[in-house]
Amino acid sequence: MNYKPIDWVDERLGTAKFTRKSLNKIFPDHWSFMLGEIAMYSFFILLGTGVFLTFFFVPSSADIVYHGSYAPLDGHVVSQAYASTLDLSFNVRAGLVMRQMHHWAANVFVAAIVVHLLRVFFTGAFRKPREINWLVGSLLLMMAILEGFLGYSLPDDLISGTGIRIAYSITLSVPIVGSYLASFLFGGQFPGDKIIPRFYTIHILLVPALMAGLLGAHLAIMWHQKHTQYKGKGKTEKNVVGVAMWPAYAMQAGGFFFLTAAVIAALGGLAQINPIWMYGQYIPYKVSYAVQPDWYMGWLDGALRLFPSWEITGFGHMIPTIFFPAVLLPGITFGLLMGWPWIERIFTKDTQAHNLLDNPRDNAWRTSIGVGVMAFYMVLFFASSTDVLANAFNLSLNFVLWAFRALVFVVPPIAAYVAYKLAKEASSASRAGRPRKAMVVSRSNEGEYTTEESDPRIEVELKRSAMHSEVPQPLPEEASFHAAEATGEGTSESEGGLAMSASSLSSAATGEMSERPSGGPEVYQVPPGTPGSGGGLFSPRGPKLSRSFEDPEEEK
Amino acid sequence: MIIRKKLGGRILVPVALGVAASVSGMALFSQGAAAATVSGSVGSANTNSLTYGGTSGAGNAPITNLKLDSSTIALGKTLFVENCSSCHGDSAGGTSRAPNLVGLGAATIDFWVSTGRMPLADPTVQAIAKPSRFTRAQTLAIDAYVSSLATGGPQIPVVNLGAASLSVGEGLFSTNCAGCHTITGVGDALADAVYAPSLYPATSTQIAEAVRTGPGNMPRFGTGNLSDQQVADIVKYVKYLQHPNNAGGIGLGHVGPVTEGFVGILIGLGSLMIAGYWIGGRAH
Repeated sequence: MNYKPIDWVDERLGTAKFTRKSLNKIFPDHWSFMLGEIAMYSFFILLGTGVFLTFFFVPSSADIVYHGSYAPLDGHVVSQAYASTLDLSFNVRAGLVMRQMHHWAANVFVAAIVVHLLRVFFTGAFRKPREINWLVGSLLLMMAILEGFLGYSLPDDLISGTGIRIAYSITLSVPIVGSYLASFLFGGQFPGDKIIPRFYTIHILLVPALMAGLLGAHLAIMWHQKHTQYKGKGKTEKNVVGVAMWPAYAMQAGGFFFLTAAVIAALGGLAQINPIWMYGQYIPYKVSYAVQPDWYMGWLDGALRLFPSWEITGFGHMIPTIFFPAVLLPGITFGLLMGWPWIERIFTKDTQAHNLLDNPRDNAWRTSIGVGVMAFYMVLFFASSTDVLANAFNLSLNFVLWAFRALVFVVPPIAAYVAYKLAKEASSASRAGRPRKAMVVSRSNEGEYTTEESDPRIEVELKRSAMHSEVPQPLPEEASFHAAEATGEGTSESEGGLAMSASSLSSAATGEMSERPSGGPEVYQVPPGTPGSGGGLFSPRGPKLSRSFEDPEEEK
Repeated sequence: MIIRKKLGGRILVPVALGVAASVSGMALFSQGAAAATVSGSVGSANTNSLTYGGTSGAGNAPITNLKLDSSTIALGKTLFVENCSSCHGDSAGGTSRAPNLVGLGAATIDFWVSTGRMPLADPTVQAIAKPSRFTRAQTLAIDAYVSSLATGGPQIPVVNLGAASLSVGEGLFSTNCAGCHTITGVGDALADAVYAPSLYPATSTQIAEAVRTGPGNMPRFGTGNLSDQQVADIVKYVKYLQHPNNAGGIGLGHVGPVTEGFVGILIGLGSLMIAGYWIGGRAH
């Protein structure tokens, strides 16, 4: 192989050292750490498909008479934005699949961010030293929701135009500055002809640039601080156990990108999304009954629907009703979200740095608060489809609305209570989170046989030696374990002060030691799915705090 | 080799599947594009107007009134007495339970009976469309009987879709109908257990009858609001909505972002989480 180009770059930029270090970087391997990756890959797909769409979309509210290939709108006066969206859907090769992929990717993007956020929340990954990344991630979520709304609005169809109208009213509802803000944003009264071009600039330039920067910061901080890991064998606050960046992690991540692309492409090709040709051009006097926003705005729409039409007066001025559900609620929501690491610290008084994650059941308070808050937003989310639910289940719309008004107060406490009880129950159950243990039959000096459950291995060993009974010979696997343990300490490398000591453990555990050719590459990984190494986050058996070799079933 | 084994078993298969699925997903656009190009003919293909009995007048009139056969009045009376008179009275004059039908016109009777809403099971809730109890001929006989009691009221319209404009219909539909029936015509729940029904099962005649007579909570659009031509245009667009251009794949019920959100979260994110669980570590 010709290394000259690599040398050439290295001699000028000194990249070899960095690359070597980077390729050996260790990432903990767990499926729940890949949720954020889904979001990242969706973002890449959004960038790719979005660039394609900009080639054909005309961000203009100027009227033209449509004579395109969609006959039911022939002769209609439509905006150029709407007409160009129709054209790119019907007349541009691959235009429709690109548009649909873009839209599906947006839905998946925000969903993945939310699930990633939940994982980070429930495992306590936001604790010191990762508060900054929590803030960056929260900002990314806000940006993603804003970006989704802007993009959804661009085609200027009847449904999205109604959404812009709602956004205009929400802007107006802000006390004191609302009318100025709305005028500033829309360049005058609604609808005007400036909002589509402005949304376009914000959608394709401002917000994506901010998001790309924040995403870079998010990753760089994660890289610098190193990824958290679940508690487990060989894992400490001061090491990282996992797979190396090259080749295992890179291959896994690359494969996952293609899987993400596959799912989004399949959705884009198979499932219709936002058929704007059926909606028609937005004209302010027209409305389609009961339109919903995209799902990530659903909780806001639900809050708008549920909030009673109170006219609240403050300082001699009426505060518009929608200010409370549409401005105050998201303000509080994101305020609490971003402030959570500090809010939690007030109660826990925990100023330690944490690199090991909590199991959600071991922190019942946080888990129950999280579940309660989640339930609150879930109710709001479902409340945004009151009309669809009423129609689907032949119920009165008013009944559904009032039911949701009750549920929004009833469900969160119940959910939180149940979560708290379940967490307490799970973590306090005897042997919770520990692997099943073998029964140890031992004979005392008097010849009496006793049967007892084995304790963690070392204690068993101590007891055995203390009892002066016949010490059973260790199993062959156990022997190799001890051998590996002895040598492992000598060979464990340190990377940035974090030692990797799991290699020997894992290789011994799976019996792959013999398969490894001498002098071959060291693979620092706990093979996922290894029998006996189970106990995932949501598995009934929970994390394995220590590995037991007494139970032959564990090894199978 | 551990690495090679790992690559083969856990990494390469997902990568290969992913690439294959991406390519096949992308390949589907050609179908979408192909469907799009025939969009122009979708509307105009729907030109078969419903002709039963004879029509009065001919030519290019957008709507003609169905001429009812006076020889069926006796049959109509029998059917009426059997099925309707217990509420509407022996001679359709109305009772405390149901309104007077005399002078309402054939279109009103025809809409309620042909859509199966009459006879009614429960007068306290909105009438439900169901399979009609009568054959078309029996329904027309009832129409003939009730309209023979007095003149006046809208007659049964027969829509000449060939004389109607799809794109004008779109504009009229989105202005006058979408506010309740939604822009896709799928219908939705309105306040207090009242709902705007789906337009998908409606025939051309039933659509025109509903526009002209305003059944239930629906407003009545007389000739001062909408001309016959405009009604025909609306009918043509509603008939198009029953089989719209579904470019882009499965239509997901035409209820907008609600189903899209569920598909995006459950199928999109759900399958990716399963994929992550598949290729990711499960050990602690």
